[in-house]
Amino acid sequence: MFKKVLIANRGEIALRIIRACKELGVKTLAVYSEADVDSLHVQLADEAICIGPAASADSYLKIDRIISAAEIGDVDAIHPGYGFLAENAHFAEICASCNIKFIGPSVSAIRAMGDKNVARATARKAGVPVTPGSDGIVETEQEALKVAKKIGYPVMIKAVAGGGGRGMRPAHNDVSLVQGFHGARMEAEKAFGNGGVYVEKLIENPHHIEFQIMADEHGTIVHLGERDCSIQRRNQKIVEECPSPLLTESLRKRMGQASIKLAQEVAYQGAGTLEFLVDDTGNFYFMEMNTRIQVEHTVTEEVYGCDLVKEQIRVATGMPLSPSIRNAKARYHAIECRINAEDPFNNFQPSPGKIGLYYAPGGRGVRIDSHAYSGYSVPPHYDSMIAKVITIGSTRGNAINRMSRALSEYLIAGIKTTIPFQQAIMRNRDFLHGKYNTGFVESIISSRAAEFRR
Amino acid sequence: MDIKEIKALIDLMKKNDLSVFKMEKEGFKITLKRNEFGGIVSSHSAPAFPAFAAPAAQPAPQAAAPASAEEPKEKQKEITSPMVGTFYRSPSPESAPYIEVGHEVTEETVVCIIEAMKMMNEIKAEIKGVISELLVENGTAVQFGQPLFKLK
Repeated sequence: MFKKVLIANRGEIALRIIRACKELGVKTLAVYSEADVDSLHVQLADEAICIGPAASADSYLKIDRIISAAEIGDVDAIHPGYGFLAENAHFAEICASCNIKFIGPSVSAIRAMGDKNVARATARKAGVPVTPGSDGIVETEQEALKVAKKIGYPVMIKAVAGGGGRGMRPAHNDVSLVQGFHGARMEAEKAFGNGGVYVEKLIENPHHIEFQIMADEHGTIVHLGERDCSIQRRNQKIVEECPSPLLTESLRKRMGQASIKLAQEVAYQGAGTLEFLVDDTGNFYFMEMNTRIQVEHTVTEEVYGCDLVKEQIRVATGMPLSPSIRNAKARYHAIECRINAEDPFNNFQPSPGKIGLYYAPGGRGVRIDSHAYSGYSVPPHYDSMIAKVITIGSTRGNAINRMSRALSEYLIAGIKTTIPFQQAIMRNRDFLHGKYNTGFVESIISSRAAEFRR
Repeated sequence: MDIKEIKALIDLMKKNDLSVFKMEKEGFKITLKRNEFGGIVSSHSAPAFPAFAAPAAQPAPQAAAPASAEEPKEKQKEITSPMVGTFYRSPSPESAPYIEVGHEVTEETVVCIIEAMKMMNEIKAEIKGVISELLVENGTAVQFGQPLFKLK
């Protein structure tokens, strides 16, 4: 087992990783920006090193400072969490050259899946269905128009280097296609340093269903079922559940096998997630693979009775997959609601600031993953998620009921949060019947426009 | 100073509603601050406890207290570290240090080396003044923003 691990992240996931390390007897080194000096992950780590001012580009994305901190801290491994440098092949490469284990897949697997275009080609090779689209990067607007004509409108123009729901433009006709093509390329160049785009069929209001896989360094790969993440606002997930109310056992089996096949194709190691779009007739299409632990890994953990972060650390030391992972069976139902420091009654405007009284819900079947505490100042420089509420129930109905109960107890004074919006979702009739897709949140907002002003 | 004396000081602070107490004697320095909820949070620094135990990294800072005693009234000029690495006072182990106390520096004066990822980086003062205090020992690890020198 590693002696010491550096956590190259912040917020709730840094806390999650520190907890896993503590339980494994591994010492922890937190790196933090000046804005995060009072953060919970800094307090709970064994050691902490400041790596820069508030801006992520000058701190959490500063590879040289993080590696310096790893060297003076004499760590064996770095856990990158999610976001930031988690899927940065260059960073993984530098770790390797400095003899520091990067807790995640190999550099080549990150590169293969990080380029959305290469990922699609790899999926095709593995016999996994992909959304109809261009065979590679589309260089000219003429080419884009040709592809769109072939696959039929509506289409989506997507950045090859994009992710997290960014760098995407829909197009319903030739005019919007040309506009979107040039716009997406410019945006992608600015945001990701890579202006390459491809064109894909736009499946209207699909279901977003992703599969969790875990692989050791000896070629054993298993899948741990799916998560339904269709409830999104502006391509950002806000509610996730496991299992999906949509999936039949046979579809689950087929999608699970496809996930393992794709992971085998790139000799994957560690935790990974394969994202699929599923239409209403049960057709599934590979969209992209996330070569890291995900925010919503929690619902899989609760249903399959496992610790995915600990397993990430274990397989990174070369251990074979744990029996708890290999023999995992789904039991019960779990839901996660992300709580953001945003005002749902004011167009979800960010609401950073000092938390006054903070009281988190508890009781049977309630799990809180959060770095918030009474008196904590939510900084304005990073993403707005401050907590994840996860509830487990013997049935989906019980899990929802429990979530409503937990949300009603949750007290976060001093800032605005999306708790009321989550409560509205939990009471929504379509959600209760498991009938929703990626158009769900927009429909709630427009039907309750008076409350949740657009 | 033993625990009994410190406890007596704390009681004295509470009784007289003092919020900050500082004392220096025989190379031992102590600062006691009362936080807004009335509890006492303390930070102490003595020559035997540097901010980093060389070459290991900084221990986690305490929740409500600064990791090192601060001067609330005087606004001292400082040179802080612009990177994470190991601090060296001279260009090489055999050479003389770049600067000493009393040395006058301009913005362009090289004041120290910080080694990061096997590269030696010359750190410039970036401010004008006279060095009044050396805050970090040669060969110790430093973090971003850590004060290295005090200036007058």
